[in-house]
Amino acid sequence: MDFDFTDDQESLRDATRKWVEKGYGFERRTGIVKAGGFSRDAYGELVGLGLTGLYIAEDDGGLGMGPVEGMVVMEELGRGMVLEPFAQTLVASGLLSGYAPDALRSAWLPKIASGESLVVLAYQERAARYDFEKCEAKAMEAHGGYALTATKSIVAAGDQADAFIVPALANGQMALFLVERTAAGVATSGYVTQDGARAAEVTFDQAPACLLTLDGLSALAHGIDIGIAAVCAEAVGVMDRTLAVTVEYMNTRKQFGVVISSFQALRHRVADMKMQLELARSMSYYASLKLNAPAEERRRALARAKYQLGVSMRFVGQQAVQLHGGIGVTDEYIVSHYFKKLTQLEMTFGDTLHHLGEVSSRMQDTAGVFA
Amino acid sequence: MDLAFTPEEQTFRDEIRAWVHANLPADIAHKVHNALRLSRDDMQRWAKILGAKGWLGHGWPKEFGGPGWNAVQKHLFEEECALAGAPRVVPFGPVMVAPVIMAFGTPEQQQRFLPGIASGEVWWSQGYSEPGAGSDLASVKCKAERHGDQFIVNGQKTWTTLGQYGEWIFCLVRTSTEGKPQTGISFLLIDMKSPGVTVRPIKLLDGEAEVNEVWFDNVAVPAENLIGEENKGWTYAKHLLSHERTNIADVNRSKRELERLKRIAQAEGVYDDLRFRDEIARLEVDVVALEMLVLRVLSAEKSGKNSLDIAGLLKIKGSEIQQRYSELMMQAAGPFSLPFIEEAMEAGWQGNFPGGMVADAPLASSYFNLRKTTIYGGSNEVQRNIVAQFVLG
Repeated sequence: MDFDFTDDQESLRDATRKWVEKGYGFERRTGIVKAGGFSRDAYGELVGLGLTGLYIAEDDGGLGMGPVEGMVVMEELGRGMVLEPFAQTLVASGLLSGYAPDALRSAWLPKIASGESLVVLAYQERAARYDFEKCEAKAMEAHGGYALTATKSIVAAGDQADAFIVPALANGQMALFLVERTAAGVATSGYVTQDGARAAEVTFDQAPACLLTLDGLSALAHGIDIGIAAVCAEAVGVMDRTLAVTVEYMNTRKQFGVVISSFQALRHRVADMKMQLELARSMSYYASLKLNAPAEERRRALARAKYQLGVSMRFVGQQAVQLHGGIGVTDEYIVSHYFKKLTQLEMTFGDTLHHLGEVSSRMQDTAGVFA
Repeated sequence: MDLAFTPEEQTFRDEIRAWVHANLPADIAHKVHNALRLSRDDMQRWAKILGAKGWLGHGWPKEFGGPGWNAVQKHLFEEECALAGAPRVVPFGPVMVAPVIMAFGTPEQQQRFLPGIASGEVWWSQGYSEPGAGSDLASVKCKAERHGDQFIVNGQKTWTTLGQYGEWIFCLVRTSTEGKPQTGISFLLIDMKSPGVTVRPIKLLDGEAEVNEVWFDNVAVPAENLIGEENKGWTYAKHLLSHERTNIADVNRSKRELERLKRIAQAEGVYDDLRFRDEIARLEVDVVALEMLVLRVLSAEKSGKNSLDIAGLLKIKGSEIQQRYSELMMQAAGPFSLPFIEEAMEAGWQGNFPGGMVADAPLASSYFNLRKTTIYGGSNEVQRNIVAQFVLG
């Protein structure tokens, strides 16, 4: 029972933090948003730090690291609200490493590690909302492989990614497939989302697909849990900065002849934000530490974490805007961007109410961290 | 980073669990598990069992007879006691005054007072709050005037928990009115059998007299009962606050009570009501998050790191959780929590509780009683001031 980071983990944090502070400031980010929400150059800089190989075994050209390292990197990227979907790289590399046949692994993992390929999860369907088990996409066996027909929404960097991991029903059971963006029958329609990042609607019309695994539902659940843990960590980074800029503002802004941080009502609001931040940080640790647990235990833990993170994100985001007064709702000042990022993260991989339902339905007689 | 306890810590936990199960009287555990009334005898029986093992002062330094446990071991010990249904240790002697006597008392005072505290033989009370000194504790007015080899004490203390059982009381008394209030306070130990000491119970909203007023009318206290130096009492009292940071979260008991809430909800037929169940689910996550916060503080203590910014959150969240589970238990029983039948809250009552479930009897009283948790120990508003100070400066 130990929550210290190793020296290597601290070095990883430092390296990522330095890149964000020096190379991904608010100005650069704003430019990337204006240009469509995704910069291949910026993604390439993450490659340069070795990060795209984080969850990939050294034999496949990666760093062979685990959930805690992923958490550390995501926190740092969250602090800079980095637009490039690094969490998707963690999900894709986790899924390929854990569930794909050897041929697919050795074909794709080195390309993900080297940055040559950006692979993202394309799973969201209109009717499913957050219930990813509901799937209408279909894949039929064809030409020695599969032909996949689907419409997937809000795919991270969907019109920029090189390949998609797509859940689809094969003979009525959910399976996972890999489809390249340049394959026949694949069409994308890109846009910017509320947090400034890029997404796309992706349609597949009998597109040639490689089978990743027939054990689709377990694999997808696992992939989404990797994503949840990543999003939890990212949110902690965002909230940490959100609280910091709020504190700085309150200690500078004067009204009625005093700094507004001297007003007790506002001080108590800050105490409540600190509470939410630390509850969130605690549950982010919990989420990452439970990522390698057996499936039922993992699902339960990640649902608990995402519920807490959702509560925290909403409170911290809303209150940060409130405590800034008028400038909190401007586009020019950074805090509205933190708020929009937190709002979007809350709705990624299932929102607070959804995960409350998950916690509720998975509840056991016992209580606590070790239950 | 690792969630799991080490093999040594697990072995320690197993040993404690076995000892507690072998030594905690079943009748006491039954009362605790069912929120039935504990008598003075119940509480003292457990204190003496712990005392005989040398575990009543389980946080004491080894030089004073403590077992020398680290932060994690103390946490595991408290957890095993809580889960098994042991009563809370009455903290005033072993947890509150003993560390002050050890840190600031003379060898004579240590020899005189510590054995009785360690054994559980002597019941101590805390004389801090006054009618005019709650959150503003430094404004205490209870006076101690030095006359030769005695102090003459006049004044009143209030909210003295279980003071009706107390044999000795440690008091913050005013020995000077010069300068800031904090600089005129002394730490004095008073024999409650002294002439002039009167204890009057205060009935709380649950019908119980858990707290008291203590009146001091020209009480003569030997000067050798002064701890440390005159007018330095506030420093000694603050020393206490730096101890036992994770206890205040009470997460171990809250885990036990959350399990009890689920059983009550099942028995009342509301566990399958999705609206009610979702409320329990929210609390479930709150308890996990609080436990994670506690573990983070323990881990920081283990590696000698500062975690004061987090420690301040434990009392706020812990008390809110205590209030919430008691609220949900009462809500689960619904209208059948309303009959107020005091005898039904005693173990072994053979009467007929309205609606037939005697487990409903204490639920509303517990809910009413636990409103105190956000008020005592530094009100949650004061706690937020302290947290804000860390964050804002």
